[in-house]
Amino acid sequence: MTTNQNHSDTQLPYQNQYQSAQADPFHGEGSSDIDELIQSNPKLWRGCDMAGQGMHGRSTGFAQLDAILPGRGWPEKGLMEIITPHWGMGELQLLIPLMRSIVEQGKWILWISPPYLLYAPALVQAGINTEQVLMVKLDTSCKDALWSMEKALQTKNCGLVLAWQNWLPTKVLRRLQLAADTGDTLGVLFKHHDSEHSPSPLRLKIEDSYSENASFNESEVTVIKARGNFRSLSTNINLYQQA
Amino acid sequence: MKDPDSEAQIPLPCIAPDSGAQIIQLPARPKNLAKAWPSKTATNEANAKPIAKRSRSKNLWYALYFPQLRELDSTQQKKYLDQLAGHMQSVSSTVSLHPQALICEIRSSLKYFSGIDFIHQKLQRPIEKQLQQWNLADDFFYAASPTVSGSLLLAKSGKNVLVYRQENLRSALGQLSADVLDLNKEQRRRLLNMGIRHLRDIWRLPSDGLRKRFGSNFVNQLNTALGIAAEPTHNYIPPPTFVASYDLPYEIENLDRLLPIADELLAQLCDFLRRRDLSTSSLLLSLFHEKRDSTVINIGLRMASRSQQHLTLLLETHFGRLSIPAPIVAIKIEVRKFDAFFAKSESFLENEASNSTHYNDSNLNQFMERLQARLGENYVKSVSNATQHCPEYASLQLDYKENPNQGSPAAISTEVSANPRPLWLLQEPKQLNINKGRLFYRKPITIVSGPERIETHWWSGIDVCRDYYVAREHSGSRLWIYRERNGKRNWFLHGFFA
Repeated sequence: MTTNQNHSDTQLPYQNQYQSAQADPFHGEGSSDIDELIQSNPKLWRGCDMAGQGMHGRSTGFAQLDAILPGRGWPEKGLMEIITPHWGMGELQLLIPLMRSIVEQGKWILWISPPYLLYAPALVQAGINTEQVLMVKLDTSCKDALWSMEKALQTKNCGLVLAWQNWLPTKVLRRLQLAADTGDTLGVLFKHHDSEHSPSPLRLKIEDSYSENASFNESEVTVIKARGNFRSLSTNINLYQQA
Repeated sequence: MKDPDSEAQIPLPCIAPDSGAQIIQLPARPKNLAKAWPSKTATNEANAKPIAKRSRSKNLWYALYFPQLRELDSTQQKKYLDQLAGHMQSVSSTVSLHPQALICEIRSSLKYFSGIDFIHQKLQRPIEKQLQQWNLADDFFYAASPTVSGSLLLAKSGKNVLVYRQENLRSALGQLSADVLDLNKEQRRRLLNMGIRHLRDIWRLPSDGLRKRFGSNFVNQLNTALGIAAEPTHNYIPPPTFVASYDLPYEIENLDRLLPIADELLAQLCDFLRRRDLSTSSLLLSLFHEKRDSTVINIGLRMASRSQQHLTLLLETHFGRLSIPAPIVAIKIEVRKFDAFFAKSESFLENEASNSTHYNDSNLNQFMERLQARLGENYVKSVSNATQHCPEYASLQLDYKENPNQGSPAAISTEVSANPRPLWLLQEPKQLNINKGRLFYRKPITIVSGPERIETHWWSGIDVCRDYYVAREHSGSRLWIYRERNGKRNWFLHGFFA
């Protein structure tokens, strides 16, 4: 697992303050509350590598991934891209804890033209209420799919919008990002290829970490870009915990 | 006070034989419509004094009686009568509904239609047509008299009679059989035992005696029929309809430019709804073209609404995917179905409000409506789990509805197999190749766990006999594969654990 340890000596002094806030003799009892307040604010720029720092994220359910994401989890809102060489590499398994928490909040999950049939028994097994899952059929035109994605992102009732769109222009991505911000919604785009200059604030890549001697179960998840992280980090996760 | 009905043995006070009411034989008229014209000789004597006081009644009530509606249940009857009342509104503004009968006031419109015959002719055709449409007998009885109950009784008796003057009513009614009165079994038996066959027999009896024996309702019924007692009626109020149209000063091809005009019409509609405390769940928008059939858009709402903002948004979405064959010259909005308006109260506490964001609230409904308006009715699906052993049938895709349980209530459940199931299922299982002795999809496959044997649907002809395995492809995907147990024992890919 790669972390930011080799990086810390060259860091600005702020980061050390965060890490050793409890032990610092100059900080009294009350400072921990202030600290917590500061750490839970995603809008505050701290001028340091945020990987595994702060508390403003929503836990992914995978400890290794939390450790390399800014705010220790998924962002509350915005757009993210998940890049896999094929569909079905465990990208949905990665999101299942998130879906569960969104359904528990009473919000809806909208699947916009998924490439295969969404299979309800698996959702039930994962603890997701299928009454709060909606799907837009596969053969919807790209224009309509994007329209529904934008509208869904703007709606406060939708907590998560999943869409399978391989290539989208920067302009469209920015528009979706704006829509997600107005609706406090998380939008996920699944893609096959990474585009370097994508404006999405979070880009993940899932790859197989298969080698003859490694265990079968782990996949390599790379955080290519995350708002707050200084560089891309990767970790190995067992995505199929139940299977 | 004692119940008069329980004291059957009260002797009736004697009545003088010479005080009987004069009975007028109604002169027969052609066209089956017997009319009692006011004759000079028919002026009444002593007995009819209270009537004589108001002999010039202002009203003439025209009653239609439909015996064929008797077998129908009350809601059906009400529905039919409501529609027939619509026809009657063409001759009178005062229409009221009664059991199996309709009554309207026609004195005020006699002059306009130049006589009752014309009024009858005007009504007969559409009503007969309507009755035929419902597969009912198309005959009905009718009568007119100065009182509501009087007309009803006359019509019920099957005599198509017209009584113009109130003083003649008594004699006209006297000819009717006592069966036409609305009585219970006991009262009927008692009347029969007293030897009363016709209403004229009742006229001879003193009213306080009758009141004691038959109760005050009975006497009131007769008094209202004679016009002695007042008789309030409930007027039929036609269902509201909203039609607003606008002729454009010039042809419009761009729907965006039509929006402000449509918005104006919607504002009228919302105002209409607000005044009547209604809301609507479906509206019909017609766009008229020159020399072409008009484009009609039927906008249905999941939840009745009267918010202009919501309707405008919906309309905008509909316009977004509409292509018009020709320029538009006029626009019309029509609403025929209305619902009562239910206001929702806001929560008093802020916290409560945030907790109550339930998935089925109005915001979501509005969003779903827009989605369906843009994508089409059956493009938005909800998924649900079904108690089926066969993997293909264990997941249902339903059209998104208000209540997903409406369609197939028994099939939906939260019971699932304990064995792993993939998030994605292939529409059709895909056959896997075997390459150098190894299973191969895009890359070689290794089996992780299994088998899970599924044998079902032998009764339907498609015999499902499969051994399911969880497998891992060497690119990292987790697959759900099975091997047929019959036939060629081929391997198939059925899903991805994604």
